[in-house]
Amino acid sequence: MKKGLLIFFLFAISITVTAQQNLGKDHSKSNITCKTCHVCDVPTKDDPCLVPCPREKMKTVYESPDKTVDVVSLEELSKKYLPVIFSHRVHAQMSVMSGGCGTCHHYNTSGPIQSCKNCHQTYRNRDDISKPDLEAAYHRQCITCHREWSHGTNCNSCHSPKMDKKGFQKEEAKKKVMGKVHPALIEPDKIVFETKYEKGKMVTFFHDDHTKKFKIECTSCHKNETCLKCHDVNKASIEKSKIVKAQKSLDEHHKKCFSCHKEDKCGSCHLNKSAEPFEHGKKTGWALNKFHVNLSCAKCHGSKMPYTKLDNKCSSCHKAWNNETFKHSITGLGLDETHSQLNCEDCHAENNYTVKPVCSNCHENYSFPKQKPGKLVGRK
Amino acid sequence: MSGKSRRDFLKTSAVIGAGVAGLSTSTVKAAPKNILSEDRMGVLVDSTVCVGCRNCEWACKEAHDLPAGDLQSYEERSVFKDKRRPGTKALTVVNEYSSGKNSNLPVDVKVQCMHCDHPACVSACIVGAFSKEENGSVIWDTDKCIGCRYCMAACPFQVPAFEYDKAINPLIMKCDFCFNRTKEGKLPACVNICPVEALTYGPRTELVKIARERIKRNPEKFVDHIFGEHEVGGTAWMYLSGKDFVELDFPQLGTNPAPGVSESIQHGIFAYFVPPVSLYALLGGIMWITKHRKELDEEEKS
Amino acid sequence: MNREEVNPIPVKHKYFTPGVIVLMIIAVNGLVFLMGRFFLGLGAVTNLNNQYPWGLWIGVDVAAGVALAAGGFTTAALGHVMHREEYNAIVRPALLTAMLGYTFVAMGVFVDIGRWYFIWHPLVMWNGSSALFEVGICVIIYMNVLYIEFLPVVAERFIGKVKLPGFLSGLNRFVDKVLRLIDSDLSKTMFIFIIAGVVLSTLHQSSLGTLMVIAGPKMHPLWQTPILPLLFLLSAISVGFPMVIFESLLASRSLGLKPEMHILSKLGSMISPLLGVYLAFKLGDMFIRETFVYLKEFNTASVMFTIELLFGVIIPLRMFLSPKVLKSPLFLFIASALVVFGVLLNRINNFVVAYTPPYSTESYFPSFGEISVTIGFMAILILLYRFIVLNFPVISLPGLKTAQPTKYTIKGAKK
Repeated sequence: MKKGLLIFFLFAISITVTAQQNLGKDHSKSNITCKTCHVCDVPTKDDPCLVPCPREKMKTVYESPDKTVDVVSLEELSKKYLPVIFSHRVHAQMSVMSGGCGTCHHYNTSGPIQSCKNCHQTYRNRDDISKPDLEAAYHRQCITCHREWSHGTNCNSCHSPKMDKKGFQKEEAKKKVMGKVHPALIEPDKIVFETKYEKGKMVTFFHDDHTKKFKIECTSCHKNETCLKCHDVNKASIEKSKIVKAQKSLDEHHKKCFSCHKEDKCGSCHLNKSAEPFEHGKKTGWALNKFHVNLSCAKCHGSKMPYTKLDNKCSSCHKAWNNETFKHSITGLGLDETHSQLNCEDCHAENNYTVKPVCSNCHENYSFPKQKPGKLVGRK
Repeated sequence: MSGKSRRDFLKTSAVIGAGVAGLSTSTVKAAPKNILSEDRMGVLVDSTVCVGCRNCEWACKEAHDLPAGDLQSYEERSVFKDKRRPGTKALTVVNEYSSGKNSNLPVDVKVQCMHCDHPACVSACIVGAFSKEENGSVIWDTDKCIGCRYCMAACPFQVPAFEYDKAINPLIMKCDFCFNRTKEGKLPACVNICPVEALTYGPRTELVKIARERIKRNPEKFVDHIFGEHEVGGTAWMYLSGKDFVELDFPQLGTNPAPGVSESIQHGIFAYFVPPVSLYALLGGIMWITKHRKELDEEEKS
Repeated sequence: MNREEVNPIPVKHKYFTPGVIVLMIIAVNGLVFLMGRFFLGLGAVTNLNNQYPWGLWIGVDVAAGVALAAGGFTTAALGHVMHREEYNAIVRPALLTAMLGYTFVAMGVFVDIGRWYFIWHPLVMWNGSSALFEVGICVIIYMNVLYIEFLPVVAERFIGKVKLPGFLSGLNRFVDKVLRLIDSDLSKTMFIFIIAGVVLSTLHQSSLGTLMVIAGPKMHPLWQTPILPLLFLLSAISVGFPMVIFESLLASRSLGLKPEMHILSKLGSMISPLLGVYLAFKLGDMFIRETFVYLKEFNTASVMFTIELLFGVIIPLRMFLSPKVLKSPLFLFIASALVVFGVLLNRINNFVVAYTPPYSTESYFPSFGEISVTIGFMAILILLYRFIVLNFPVISLPGLKTAQPTKYTIKGAKK
């Protein structure tokens, strides 16, 4: 009797363990309770007893779009039309800024990716009507976005009618889409918002500064964009006008900016005209040279925002530089033998490297820049 | 003399009374079929899902032998400029409204007969041609119809249409819930074709539960109201919407069945024919008394 | 015998006058459009559509027709049920109007329904909960009752005078016998039909009001009320006598007879209380349901309601209270005409003006064809009335006293 119980327990445990192992690796470690997905206490592989369509509560999978499957052929429902060749990767790439994988893969465990037909039945005339059938599930995912930018419900934009079956080769059709990636996005340099703020109506947002200089991820601002943001058959309506009227609520607009510009005063963004792009020289009085201009801001100013003002001593950053190690040729001027023996301060008074040294400090008959303390080598 | 006359009178009244009693029983039998089954079917229309493809319009015409044309011609969206109504040439139509608060997509609403649980048309029809069937559909017998159009005047949703252009055999037309298809276990044509299953066909009680669940799960997407759950005592077709129903041209109706007041008046006047028979008896009495009094007066005088 | 003797005889007057010719033109015009309705369909002649299924023909030909024929049952109730025999002189004209009125109501229904060849269906296909079914059945039965009530007039005209043409002359004796049989049998049982007529009228006059109750919120709240059937009945009762006065004065004018002012004045004096009851219920309903707020708005509904109430009820009510009005044929005519107009307007308002379907893009106004048919029917009705009055003993001429006591009494009670 005791033995029997023991065997039973072992058996039960082994089932549970296998079940967990067969699903995703961190299945049991994920930050969700079992009850989120399973109705029963001991779900098995054969009977996972998954809860019906918990669309909102569920965690969804995430995979980098580039690693996902390239093309999917949807052919479960082929009564009237040929299989639909779905360019999965392109869509996955687009989804990055509009809801992610979960937009379509709305229901998943952290385990393998569920296919639609696991839950959505292939028959319309069915008993369980709490979730749409497969045809509807597909169509809802596709048409809801497609009609947003196409302003229509044209079947043939995805389907080919069954009539021209002769010429249809599934693999051929797949190949056409295979390897396709979403073309690079055209980013705006800047966007000028016209706001209702009386004291400064114009807010200029330098998009490329934020993406390129500050290296802010697209998704940190663009999370749930609609397709219409980029796509529209009526091109005119998405063509970027120079000035955009602020339409969202005050909070929505400010939230994104405030995540960094916490301390800024209203006036630092709200101006009466569109702002000039940031120029280091104008703003700080220290124009960046060819070398510095290519550096990321953080390289000098550190990653902490807002950036603090630096002194203009080279050694503040170039700590390794001293009389011995610094090669003057880096500035484009290789010092001749006599001059290379000098200390830096001998020519650059008070360590002020912004002011070009003057020959007359030492020499009577020489004048800079006509005569130089060495050979011009050209900057590297 | 007067004794004899009273006997005559009573005898005649008795005969009429018997006749009337006979009438009243057959009236009860003659009431139209009006079943309110527990398992009656319905359709939940989720207007937040509908994409306005108008395939349902095409499928409906095909299923009812109306000239339907090419399915592709239904992609034409200029028809949405005007708000259309179901008529004799299209038993269902989709209308498009500007977007609701949660979306930049337009809102599309399919319109057809609501198949009331307590239909005004069934109550109103002079020949009892209309009937509420066990599966929830409200249908009618064309062979009985005399074309009086009282159903049209009675319908709270203004759905039945009439073939005014026909001189001979004009018909009342409206959605029949594809009675001939559902009879065979098939889905209504519109439900069958809907690419996004904005129309869910199922037992009405279950549909109400599903609709509640959808609202609960997504309270920001939906207006917290199932149109048709209680309107005019409930309808087989019910709607969910993300926009106020009034803005989508749904009529504002109470929860009392449309034929309620009218039927209680009718049944009050004709409660087992007691009121008319009593009135008859009363008038007969007055007639006899006034006559008798007159004769007495005259006798006194002469 | 203090009983006022009446002696209805065919009036001696020529049929054709300029007025009659005009009426005939109107009638022919109506018949032309009627042909259009039957050959081309309702849509070709009427302005009806899916939003406005009922229009002028139901509102005027049927609803107002039934109401204005109420004189038949109110005078029958007065003359025969209450045995106020002084009014017997007006019973027959009222009966004739009712008979013709109901015939034209039936015609109106026949024309209006889309599948006219199935007009008999309600007789065998019953729906007890339908107000329209009840109206239909009652109207059909009542129409037959009216024909039966009128049969003695026909019999009276032909008894002893049957002269069939040509080969049918052999039947003369037989037809005469049948007429005598009808006459004597009917006079024994006529009370059944008279009471039945009153009951049936009460039923369908009120059910006519129930008709629009089912339209619920589609009907303007100024008119939509659960007591519509009562209001319809009360208004029908109060329009009965004014209609009799109206047509009696009109007929005597047209036929060159002396108006029977002594009867009409007495009849007129009874109208005020009836109108008063109707007005009380109408106003009471308005105040209980607080619909007077709609009168503050200025639109078709509020204007029509005000006209209906003011000119159709309040002004004639005041007029009938004045002895001067009761004595003057002209004022009596005006006051009666106002009540008739008021009830006519009330029926139009209930069936057409108050009816506001939820999805109509433009409101209904009757087409020329609809109006033509309606006034065409009215013209034919007047022409028929004139013909019957000239050929059958309907109108009693005052002064000619040959004993012809009223027949429709409980026979056995007669001495």
